[in-house]
Amino acid sequence: MKVQEAPNPLAEGLHDYRVADPAVMVIFGATGDLSGRKLLPALYNLAKQRSLPAGFAVVGAAMTEMTEQSFRQLASQKIHEFSRTQPIDDRVLSSFLDMLSYVKVDFSKTEDFKALGKKLQEIDNNNHIPGNRVFYCATPPQTYQMIAVQLRASSLNTGDGWKRIVVEKPFGTDLKSARELTETLHKVFTEDSVYRIDHYLGKETVQNILAFRFANSIFEPVWNSNLIDSVQITIAEEIGIENRGSYYDRAGALRDIVQNHGLQLVTLTAMEPPLAFEANAVRDEKVKVLRSIRPLLGEEIEESTVRGQYTTGWVLGEKVEAYREEKNVASDSQTETYAALRLFIDNWRWAGVPFYIRAGKRLPKRVTEIRIQFKRPPHLTFGREAMKEVDPNAITLRIQPEEGISLKFGAKVPSAGLRIRSVTMDFQYLTSFLVEAPEAYERLLLDCMIGDPTLFTRSDEVEVAWSLIDPIEDAWRNGRPPLETYPSGTWGPPSSSTLLQSEGREWHRP
Amino acid sequence: MSTTTEHEPLTAWQGEDVTVGDVLDALHGIRAKFARTDVGDDEHGHPRNCVMTLIGIAPTESDERVARHTTQLISSEHPAQAIVIREEAPLRGHHLDAWITTEAQQPGAGCPTECEIITLHVRGAAAEHLAALVDPLLVSGVPTYLWWLGTPPFGKKELADALRVCDGLVVDSARFNEPFNSFRGLSRLLKAAHHRLGLADLQWSRLRPWREMIAQFFTPVDRRHFLTGIAEVGVDYAGDGRGNRIAAALITGWMAGALGWRLRSAAAGQGGVVVAHYLASGRSVEVDFRSVQREHLTPGELGAVRIAGASRGTTFRLSVQHDPERRPPPADTVYQAMHPTEGEDDAGFELAQRRAEWHRDVLHENLGSLHHTATGDAPGESRPRPPIVLSRDRRRPDTERVLLTLIEIGEGRPLRHVQQLDRQDEVALLLDLLSTGTHDEVFNRSLAAASALIDKF
Repeated sequence: MKVQEAPNPLAEGLHDYRVADPAVMVIFGATGDLSGRKLLPALYNLAKQRSLPAGFAVVGAAMTEMTEQSFRQLASQKIHEFSRTQPIDDRVLSSFLDMLSYVKVDFSKTEDFKALGKKLQEIDNNNHIPGNRVFYCATPPQTYQMIAVQLRASSLNTGDGWKRIVVEKPFGTDLKSARELTETLHKVFTEDSVYRIDHYLGKETVQNILAFRFANSIFEPVWNSNLIDSVQITIAEEIGIENRGSYYDRAGALRDIVQNHGLQLVTLTAMEPPLAFEANAVRDEKVKVLRSIRPLLGEEIEESTVRGQYTTGWVLGEKVEAYREEKNVASDSQTETYAALRLFIDNWRWAGVPFYIRAGKRLPKRVTEIRIQFKRPPHLTFGREAMKEVDPNAITLRIQPEEGISLKFGAKVPSAGLRIRSVTMDFQYLTSFLVEAPEAYERLLLDCMIGDPTLFTRSDEVEVAWSLIDPIEDAWRNGRPPLETYPSGTWGPPSSSTLLQSEGREWHRP
Repeated sequence: MSTTTEHEPLTAWQGEDVTVGDVLDALHGIRAKFARTDVGDDEHGHPRNCVMTLIGIAPTESDERVARHTTQLISSEHPAQAIVIREEAPLRGHHLDAWITTEAQQPGAGCPTECEIITLHVRGAAAEHLAALVDPLLVSGVPTYLWWLGTPPFGKKELADALRVCDGLVVDSARFNEPFNSFRGLSRLLKAAHHRLGLADLQWSRLRPWREMIAQFFTPVDRRHFLTGIAEVGVDYAGDGRGNRIAAALITGWMAGALGWRLRSAAAGQGGVVVAHYLASGRSVEVDFRSVQREHLTPGELGAVRIAGASRGTTFRLSVQHDPERRPPPADTVYQAMHPTEGEDDAGFELAQRRAEWHRDVLHENLGSLHHTATGDAPGESRPRPPIVLSRDRRRPDTERVLLTLIEIGEGRPLRHVQQLDRQDEVALLLDLLSTGTHDEVFNRSLAAASALIDKF
C-alpha cells in the first residue's frame, strides 16, 4: 500500500527525480525471456539513471539450478544484448550485478519459498531494507495463482514494509478466469498492491494522449459529438505470430490485442478529464468509459464486428505463409488474426459517435494510431467545386512508429482562382525532442517501486473489458459472423471496409 | 535516435559589414531551400522545428569556439536557432560581420530538421545594445536563452538591455572572474530581473547529483524524520580562498532553504575553514567547510558532503564523496574492519578509528553482560563468539565519474553505494538545463541563502 506522507523537501525542484524505496525485487522466472529481454536491462538502465537507491537488491528466482555467479553472468549477457542504452557502462553494470542474488525456487514447493524468505531477510539486514518487496511474476499466466498462494503459505506477503506483486497480461482469458485470478490475488494482496502490467501504458506516446487532451485548452472544446464524426483506432502489425502459435491459436486478435491495448486506447481517447494525474482519479475515469460502451449482443455482433485470418501473401516485399501453415497452429484453425469492431459510447460526450477499432497481423505495415475524424463544415462557403479536394478535418495521434500528432485542414492553393486543398500540420516527437524516450518497462518498474499504480490496470477495468469481449468471443466461436480470410499484406478482409462504407465512411490509410 | 555529427557545419551564408536585415534575408532563403530539399513536387515541404533560441555571448575567440561547438551539439538533441555574438575591436566603417552555418539532422524515422547558427561579430556601440541586434532574429513563440560565457557585466546597462528580450540567463559561476564578487552580483539579479526572467547557473547544475544522493537518503518514509535531526554538515571543497567556496555555499544554501534553517552566524578561519551555525526549529545545526587538496578536483569543486545527526534515538551518518582517494588498508585490527568507512577520506578515517576504539572498549568492558544478553548464558560461563570480520574489499577503482555514498544508521552495517555521474561538460549541463527551462525556484532560494552565507566570510 502506498503510504501517504509529506514530500521530501530536499527532492523539490529535482527534475525527473524518481527514486525507488530501498526494496528487494524478486523476479520469478528470472532466467526466462521476459526477464532477460526486458526486466534486467530495464533495471540496469534505472541504476544508470541513479533511480535505484543504496541497498536496493534483486533476487532471481526460477526452477533452473544455477549459482549466484552464473545468474550474474546471464544477467550481464542479457543486458549487453538487450539494453536500450549502449555501450554498456562496465562500472554501472558491475555495481548493478552486485545487487543480484539467485535462489532456485520450484513454485510448487513451499519450502523453496521459505528458503527464499530467509534470503530476503538476510538482504534486509545487510542493506537497511525495512521489508519492502516487489514480487514480479515473469512467468506463464497459469503460475500466477500458484505463486501467490505460496507467498501466503510462507508468510512472504506479510511483515514489515510494503509488499507488491506484479503480473503481466493476459489477466485471464475471459471474465470468469479474470475474476478467479483476482480472487486468488486478493486473498494474498490488497488490490492496491497488485500491479497488472500492460506495457502499452508505459509508452510515452500513449501517455501523451492525456497530455495532448488535458494540458491544452484548444482541443477539449471540440472533443465531443458536436464536432467529431467518428474515431478510428488502428493497431496493425506486419509480423505474423512468430513462435507463439500454441498461445495465439487459443487467444486470437480479439483477446490478444483488442481486449487490452485496443480498449485502453478507447478509454484514453474518450475519458473525461480526471481531477489529477493520480492513480484512482485516472482509472476511475477509464472505467467510466468502459462501463459506458454499449455491449454488443445478439445480431449486433454480426453487424458490428469483422473477423479475419491471413492467408499467404506478400509483406514488405517478402512472401509469407498462411496462418494455418504456421507452427503450432491447427490446419483447420478458426482463430482470427484480424478483428474489427464498431462500438458506441453511450454518454453525453460521445452519443452517436462510432469508434472503429481494427487490429491485425500480417497487415501491410506496423502502425498504431488514433484518428479523430471531424464533421464537414455545415455550409460550403467556397462552393462544391473549390472544396472537392478537401477532406474533413482530422487529428491523428500516432502511437508508433513515427510518434506524433498531425492536424489536417484545408488551405487555399496559391493561384489566381479559389481552390482549397487538404494539408497537414505535423508534430513529430523525434524532430521536436531528439532525445530517446525511456523504455516502457523502465517507467513501469519504477512506478511500481515508488508505489504509483496510475499506469497499471485495476481489477474492475479488467473485468469490465472482459464483459464487453466475452459475448463477442462466444458469438465468434459459434461462427457469427463467419471467419473471412485476407491475403497477407492487405488491410484485412472485405467486410472490414463494408463495416464503414455502409455508413458513408472509409478506413483512413495510415 | 538522432544522427549526431561531429564535422563542421556547413557555411550557408556570410557577409562583412552587413545589417541585421541582410542576415534576415539570408535566413529566409536558407529556410525556403531547406524546406524543399529532397522533396517531390507534390509533397509537403519539411516542416520547420525549433524549440528555442540560444544566444551565446562570447567575450573571447576561444569562448566563441566553445559556444559554436556547444550549440551545434545541442542542436543534435533540440532543433534550435543559435546566435553567437562576439564583440570585436572597433574598425572604421565596419559594424557587423555575420556568418550563418546550418546543421541538418535526420532522425531515424522522422523528417529532417535544421539548426541554424548565426555568428555575429559586432563592433562599436552596437555591442552595448544587444537587444536591438538580436530581437529581429528571434524565433517567435519559443523561449530565448542568453548564455553568457565568462563573467556578465553585473549591474551594467549592457546586461540589463540584453536581458530585456530573454526568458533566461545562463551563467557558470565556476568560470567567473572575481567569483566572490560576481556571485554576489548574480544574487542581486534575483531582485532586479523582470518577472519572466529565469536565472540558471551551470555550477548549480553540477551539484544536481549531490543533491540527488543526499535527497535519496531521506526519501524512504521511515528515514524522513532524520531531516529534523541533522546536527552537523561537513563540506569539503578544493582550492583556497573565498572564491572557491561558492559550490559549498550553494549546497549549504540548498539545504538551509529546503529545510527552513536560519543563519545565525558564520566565520571563516585559517586554512579555508568556515564554521556556520543555523537555527532549525530550536535546534542548532553546525556547518563546517574544509579546504582539501586533491589532484582530481578542480578549485571550487566539492570533494565530499557529510551529514550526521540523530532522531528518535537513532544516529545516522551520510557521506557522499567525489572520486575518493585510495589508501592501503591500515594494519590490523578486526575492529576497524567492522567499520569499513576507513580509507575513503580523512573524516571517514577518523570516524572509523573513533568508532572502532569505542566499540572495542565497550565490548571489552561489557564482554560478560553482552554475552549474557545475547545468549541467556550466565556471565563468565562461556566466551562470546568473535565479531564478524568484514574482510572482503568490495571497492572498485572508482573514478571522477562516480559518487560514493556511505550510509550508517544506528549500529547497523555501513552501506556503500556507487552511482554514476552524468557527463558534466557544458553541452550536457546546458541540455539538461534548457530542456527543463531556467525558472527554478529552488535555485533562486538556494542562491539567496548561499549569498547570505558568503556575505559573512
